[in-house]
Amino acid sequence: MQLRHLFILLSCTSALTFASPHYQTCASCHGAQGEGNAAMQAPALAGQSATYLARQLNYFKSGIRGGDQSDTLAQQMRAMAGILPSEAAVQSVSLFLANLPRTQPAVTISGDADKGYKLYNMKCGACHGPNGQGNEALKAPALAGVGDAYLARQFTLFKTGARGSHPEDKPGRQMKMMSTHLSNDDLRDVLAYINTIGR
Amino acid sequence: MSNKLFAVLISAGLLVGGFWLGQHLATNSPVALVGDADRYTSNAAARITAGTALDASVGASGTGTTIDVFNGESIQAAVKRASSGDIIRVYPGTYQETVYIDKDDIWLTGVIQRGHWPILEGNHTLNDAILYSGNNITVENFRITHYKGNAIMGQAGNNFLIRNNHVIDTGVYGIFPQLGKNGLIERNILSGIEDAAIYVGMCDNIHVNNNEVFENVAGIEIENTRHAIVENNKVYNNTGGILAFITPGLPIKTTYDVIIRNNFISDNNHVNFGAPGSIVAGVPSGSGIVVMAADQVTIEGNIITNNKNVGIVITDHQSFANISLDPESDPNSDQVAILNNVMFNNGYQPINEISALKLVNLIKNDVDIVNVGTSADSCILDPGKYVTLGLDDYGRCNFSDTHGTVSYLLPEPAEPHPFTDTEKGKMAYYGICTGCHAYNVRMIGPPVQIIQALYMDNPEGLADYIAKPIKKREDYPEMPAQNYLSPELRLAVAKFMLGVDNQGQFNDPALNQNP
Ligand code: HEC
Ligand code: HEC
Ligand code: HEC
Repeated sequence: MQLRHLFILLSCTSALTFASPHYQTCASCHGAQGEGNAAMQAPALAGQSATYLARQLNYFKSGIRGGDQSDTLAQQMRAMAGILPSEAAVQSVSLFLANLPRTQPAVTISGDADKGYKLYNMKCGACHGPNGQGNEALKAPALAGVGDAYLARQFTLFKTGARGSHPEDKPGRQMKMMSTHLSNDDLRDVLAYINTIGR
Repeated sequence: MSNKLFAVLISAGLLVGGFWLGQHLATNSPVALVGDADRYTSNAAARITAGTALDASVGASGTGTTIDVFNGESIQAAVKRASSGDIIRVYPGTYQETVYIDKDDIWLTGVIQRGHWPILEGNHTLNDAILYSGNNITVENFRITHYKGNAIMGQAGNNFLIRNNHVIDTGVYGIFPQLGKNGLIERNILSGIEDAAIYVGMCDNIHVNNNEVFENVAGIEIENTRHAIVENNKVYNNTGGILAFITPGLPIKTTYDVIIRNNFISDNNHVNFGAPGSIVAGVPSGSGIVVMAADQVTIEGNIITNNKNVGIVITDHQSFANISLDPESDPNSDQVAILNNVMFNNGYQPINEISALKLVNLIKNDVDIVNVGTSADSCILDPGKYVTLGLDDYGRCNFSDTHGTVSYLLPEPAEPHPFTDTEKGKMAYYGICTGCHAYNVRMIGPPVQIIQALYMDNPEGLADYIAKPIKKREDYPEMPAQNYLSPELRLAVAKFMLGVDNQGQFNDPALNQNP
């Protein structure tokens, strides 16, 4: 009995100081459980693919992502990625986040989820997976549990070319090409569908 | 006693009288007559007459020499040796191989001895059993089983003849001529196919008769195809019986002039086991005949029973699950004609959408025929015979049968497709890839648009993938290897696929990347 309590206590404290010490600073924007923070416009990261997270962190570091001066939020995140001292730190924080349970950020966008399902199935699912869980083989991240406002903003960044234009960003260029095939209205419906996943 | 009889007689008389009155009123009411009275008697598209053998202008000539293949030998080796005109006779035995015929005029025939057939066995590992890209090919008398892809696939070959084959538990499509003109599919038996058992894709002048198809997702599918007759087939216990469709996103944009007649279409209540999200996965279990976006489909003389959802449904692209619109295709089914059919005990367990429509229209009985969406200039010969829903705009057909039209097969063999050598990539794309990949719609494989994003400037990578595909998506089946194509052709089709648009035209791939 006693032992078990002690164990729970220990695991709690370790969660507070984080399995990956590098996550300490990140939590202020991305939340203690990686659940994101709407006020900071920071996406949920919990349960996202580790390889995707690590790629994005390295992209931020090298300016492949967020190099566009107009994108102030990405600029912010670039500075934060810079504090990760090494590739090992990038890997450890990414693995830590990938192992956190997926969250359900609040819904902020409304649309026709049935229509959105059809569109998703035609235009997104072949890369992002049938339930928005992502696909490692195709380098496509999970879209479920990330947060609709953030996704909408990223989609627009791909459309305008602020993200996915760098010649070394092959996955980003793939996504940029897909972003031209969906109107803003259709995007709302797709996000409404993504919001229903897991609820 | 005698009083009772009298009463019965009187009420019978009243019934007859009422019936007569109803008929009389019906003919007097101003229902529009729809369609040309001579639509099927002086039908310009039908050029052969009764008495002509259906196989007169299709299949191989058999004018060359005969090559025998015995158990333990390879059919493909015989095809390699054969020249046009030759007959390849395959004796009973088990053949574990993929046969690819890229020559014209080859007659591939199985020899059936005392009930023993030649069996093509895929062992659940081989993709396709028989592929042909030549013209005037005959494939007959084979038992084909346990392949993962297609049993018999035609790739832009004209004048084909596919008859008397048994296809059991074999992959995605059973008999699948793609982009062929003038072809006959008869007396085959197919079962256990997870998409369409007989799938006629982007073809012209086709005849499908006396086949038996059961326990497939779709029995017989006429898709993006013109001038076709489907008759005398036995179609039972599939998810959907006979389908006449336009699939959006293919380079050929129309389906019209289709006759579906004298078929047995019963008990098509099989659970849908199509890949989730694919087009056929949207076919509700219990559908006898489905017409979607196809024009000039005439349905006559069929016996349609025990299809729990509905006997016949006519619908459009908007109303169908798992479909998006193609701006180049008319989404409606127009000029549909329902002549005399025998229909009973259909619609006893309809899908929610149909139940809701019944509620709104105050219909309590089980429904035989449903129309959803607009359908211009359509007609029904005798609406009183069936329980119908949504057919208020249908007129009375101005013609009562299709007997004047025997077949749309051609009197003379069709010319080969006019693809030049430099257009090889286009031919392979039209003839092979569009069987599973539509431009912006999910068919069996992912949409072409998505493949273009994945491989935008990397045709070599695409060519490598199709030679030896690996499984990447949990909710899609495996892509069959195209390693029977030469490396040059694989690269040519890869380049074509990366530049093609929704019309099937080739553009500079760079344009597709930055529209
Ligand atoms: C000041 C707030 C803030 C802090 C602190 C912060 N981030 Fe971010 N992060 C953001 C914002 C805002 C975005 C969205 C950027 C955009 O819109 O392009 C983001 C995006 C990301 C992404 C991309 C997610 C995706 O789905 O593509 C990753 C990965 C990430 N952050 C990881 C981290 C890590 C690891 C840390 C700690 C080292 C961290 N962040 C600290 C605000 C912050
Ligand atoms: C060809 C494959 C492919 C298709 C199809 C595709 N995506 Fe993507 N998507 C990607 C890849 C790869 C990434 C990651 C890009 C990167 O690494 O920077 C991505 C990233 C995204 C992101 C950013 C996620 C984040 O956390 O920052 C959004 C939003 C997105 N996709 C939405 C969509 C939507 C909506 C569709 C359907 C219209 C779609 N995608 C279709 C491949 C695809
Ligand atoms: C019998 C159906 C079928 C035919 C015919 C077919 N494909 Fe596919 N294809 C598929 C399926 C299913 C997938 C999805 C496989 C997966 O994700 O595991 C696919 C996937 C693909 C991909 C995506 C590969 C990736 O990296 O994600 C490419 C490229 C492709 N096919 C090219 C072609 C070309 C070119 C042809 C014509 C020569 C062709 N396919 C013919 C069914 C087919």
